[in-house]
Amino acid sequence: MTLPLISLMILIPLVGAIISFLSRTRNQARIVAIIASIIPLIITIKMYLQVDPSTMWVVESYDWIPQLGITYKLGVDGISMPLILLANIVVPLTILFAWGETKRTSSFYGLLLLEQVGVIGVFSSLDFFLFYIFWEITLVPMYFLISIWGGPRKDYAAIKFFIYTHIASLVMLLAIFALYFIAWAQTGYPSFDIVHLLAQYPSFSPVVKDVIFFALLFGFIVKMPAVPFHTWLPDAHVEAPTAGSVVLAAILLKMGGYGLFRVMMPMLPNTTNTSLVITVVAIIGVVSIVYGAFLALAQKDLKKMVAYSSVSHMGFVTLGFASLVPLSVTGAMYQQFSHGLITCILFMSCGVIQHGAHTRIINDLGGLVQKMPKLTFLMLGGFLASLGLPGMSGFIAEFTVLTGSITTLFIYVMIAVFGGVAVTAAYHLWAIQRAMFGVFNEKLGHIHDLAGYEMLSMAILLLLVIFFGVNPDPVWDFMQAGANTLLAGVHII
Amino acid sequence: MSYLNYTHLAPELIVAIMGLAVVFFGLFIPTRFKRGLGCISGLALIIAILEILRNGVLWESQRVATYFYDAYTIDSLSQFFKLVFLSVSFIVVIASTRRYKESRYQDEYYGLLLFATLGMMVVASSNDLLTLFIGFELASMSTYALAGFDKTNPKSVEAAMKYYIIGSISSAILLFGFSLLYGATGTTNLEAISAYIAAHGLASTTGTAILVFLVAGFTFKMALVPFHMWAPDTYEGSPTLISALLAAGSKKMGFVAAFKVFIVALIALKLDMQNVFFILAIITMTYGNLVAISQKSIKRMLAYSSVAQAGYISMAFVIMTPLAVGAGILYVLSHAFMKTGAFIAVGAVVYMLTREKKNLPDADHLDNFAGLSKRAPLTAFAMMIFVFALAGIPPTAGFVSKFVLFSSAIHAGYITLVLVAILNSALSLYYYARLVKYMYVLPPAGETLREPRAYLLAMLVAVIVVIAIGVYPAPFLEWAMNAATTMGL
Repeated sequence: MTLPLISLMILIPLVGAIISFLSRTRNQARIVAIIASIIPLIITIKMYLQVDPSTMWVVESYDWIPQLGITYKLGVDGISMPLILLANIVVPLTILFAWGETKRTSSFYGLLLLEQVGVIGVFSSLDFFLFYIFWEITLVPMYFLISIWGGPRKDYAAIKFFIYTHIASLVMLLAIFALYFIAWAQTGYPSFDIVHLLAQYPSFSPVVKDVIFFALLFGFIVKMPAVPFHTWLPDAHVEAPTAGSVVLAAILLKMGGYGLFRVMMPMLPNTTNTSLVITVVAIIGVVSIVYGAFLALAQKDLKKMVAYSSVSHMGFVTLGFASLVPLSVTGAMYQQFSHGLITCILFMSCGVIQHGAHTRIINDLGGLVQKMPKLTFLMLGGFLASLGLPGMSGFIAEFTVLTGSITTLFIYVMIAVFGGVAVTAAYHLWAIQRAMFGVFNEKLGHIHDLAGYEMLSMAILLLLVIFFGVNPDPVWDFMQAGANTLLAGVHII
Repeated sequence: MSYLNYTHLAPELIVAIMGLAVVFFGLFIPTRFKRGLGCISGLALIIAILEILRNGVLWESQRVATYFYDAYTIDSLSQFFKLVFLSVSFIVVIASTRRYKESRYQDEYYGLLLFATLGMMVVASSNDLLTLFIGFELASMSTYALAGFDKTNPKSVEAAMKYYIIGSISSAILLFGFSLLYGATGTTNLEAISAYIAAHGLASTTGTAILVFLVAGFTFKMALVPFHMWAPDTYEGSPTLISALLAAGSKKMGFVAAFKVFIVALIALKLDMQNVFFILAIITMTYGNLVAISQKSIKRMLAYSSVAQAGYISMAFVIMTPLAVGAGILYVLSHAFMKTGAFIAVGAVVYMLTREKKNLPDADHLDNFAGLSKRAPLTAFAMMIFVFALAGIPPTAGFVSKFVLFSSAIHAGYITLVLVAILNSALSLYYYARLVKYMYVLPPAGETLREPRAYLLAMLVAVIVVIAIGVYPAPFLEWAMNAATTMGL
């Protein structure tokens, strides 16, 4: 008798969330939350140690609404496993970081746990119906996290976040239904199985195929977000509480990238004009990298800068996806994982500065290193990782994406991307130089350094970033196996 | 098949005997003990429900038994609808044990309630126009009296009067349609009618006349536009618990009767029927939702929402594939629980408010729901679940039913119909969400209220079923599909 491990990973945070919602004291809520979020991490590690990444494993499948072909089907492989690991690392550390939260704590920790439920569900669903339900589940707690614990313009940011991403998911839903009904008409029986629907996709009529492809693509890249559709992200981040920003940037954005690999990649070779589609996606990726970097350079608010750096970094995922060679695709997956860890440190730093100095405007800060040496050390580590310093995980990801895609992309595109990388280094260094070093701004008054739990959380993240920068194999092998399986079905280049 | 084996009639017998017993013993019991009659009625209903679940007919896709020379049949269709009727009555009875605790007319109330349920059950099982009509009238007569049960409240009497007059006229129309059908085919048995028409055909003028009369007769009970006018007035004026019975039980009787007559007997007129119901469904859902938006009385709002939901359900008559009819039947079940629950929640609010202030006018006004989450948290929470279910938000029964129904429509190629239905669902979200906003966002309109336990129990039952269907719909959908199959689609 084997335990349904993935279901347990979803169920335990769910139960934890319910207990947390009902708990009367802050202590009870946060202890429940940290326990309920760490157990899935233990399960993930246990799964990691006993599996073969090249095939889908630990599949759990039960009929749910058999009359409509809806099943409760969960499984993980090399594509999803690292992301599940990421989610299970980030959520406990976020809860640890937010250990000192005082406002409506039972709901706060409960909502964080619900995010974990939704995200693990998205990463492990093999049934489109289930996938969509989890996808929507992630939306609701984040809306409340922004609208209750957010900053001054929280209502605007929350509703913008909700409407923007909800419209994207509705478009995605329509595409899923189109897939479902056309496949139903073709095969004569209904099924929401992702693998089944993707197998039916090549025999659709050309126009329908393209419409479905772009609708799904829209759904995913809004979530990532890629450049024309990125405007919800800075608003959401600036107003969200630190824990909300961390979860949003570190794991919710990864759902978009996951969708690209899981759903779009097998569809890509079957679109009517594949090379055009690839060009479009690659342009979106490159523009995100370069334009995101310039936007970040222009920001006055530290957190907004970090938010735009997410846009820029997620551009590497899009680019790696579009290049369709194993090295780049693996690199893109690795970028998701690595960015998930690094961005946590960045947002946590912003949160600490906001909390201590009551401002995040870079020019109003200055010389914080004198008051906050521990923070400055950890933050510097995070910033260096984010700008792609060798020895840290971000370097490996971006290096492999670029090395792989150099064979498929035009050379002047590559020049633009390298320019973007230079700008990335510039805004990181310039920001930290102005905010943390130099002369201390006396107007800021007395400032505390990191609390113990904050330092622990950020230090663990930094150690993980360095560990995966020096020794990427534990995760890399999984992703490579996943990428090879994906690309085995893609014969166009 | 032995004609002496009446075990399948056990639910009906229990309800009938208990109805007679309640009326009879009510004559001798002093008022303060009459509350016990309610408890016994509830017990009888739950036994009948368990009996239906136990004997396994719901899992059969074929007819299990017929009685009384083919006039009465037992199959999953009949049992499914009986389950709906019994559950609705059961939930209403639970809440009634509190509402009418001190009334000296409790014996009449429970007696009428049980007879109404019995009438609906007879309709569900009837296989003959006459049996169907008798059941129809038994249920109608009982509900006419129940609608006017708050004898001192002019609104209630007015509601009963309207319901009675329009109901009688529509019964007459229905009967006229039946007589035409009998005259044309020479039989009252539903399957014999179908066989006769298949063999000999039906003159198109006769066919049209029959269809017009029957549609008018049935859609009165189903409250489809333009035969819906009585519904908002009656639902608003009747005692709230009776509104629940009317909207969730009596209305569904119209649906099962229509399923039987239109799909079993008159399948030959399928094309005309599809056209008629295509128009009726679209008008009904759009009109119901549009008018519901402007309502300030929650009971009226629920009445119009119920009209709109009837529009969704009647999509099944347009699509007519087994999946669609099964989806329609599942929708009937879901809607029965959502609507009963919603009306009971409103009833609880009205009860709590009028207990403080006697003769409070318009106790179900939207303003009285402001900040209800603070004043009566459990009632507000249950109401939120029902309202979200009515709007079709997962993970509730309303979502699953809509999803299956709309999927079946798309699969059958009725894209226009589905588009209208989806836009209507979006529209309906406005007034449902407004109620939730009133309950959860606005500041409380008064002090904390003491929530009556009987109402809470009734709402709890409804909430559990609504969520259960939403989370694990497979068995319910299978029963509904079996029911659709027994109609010979």
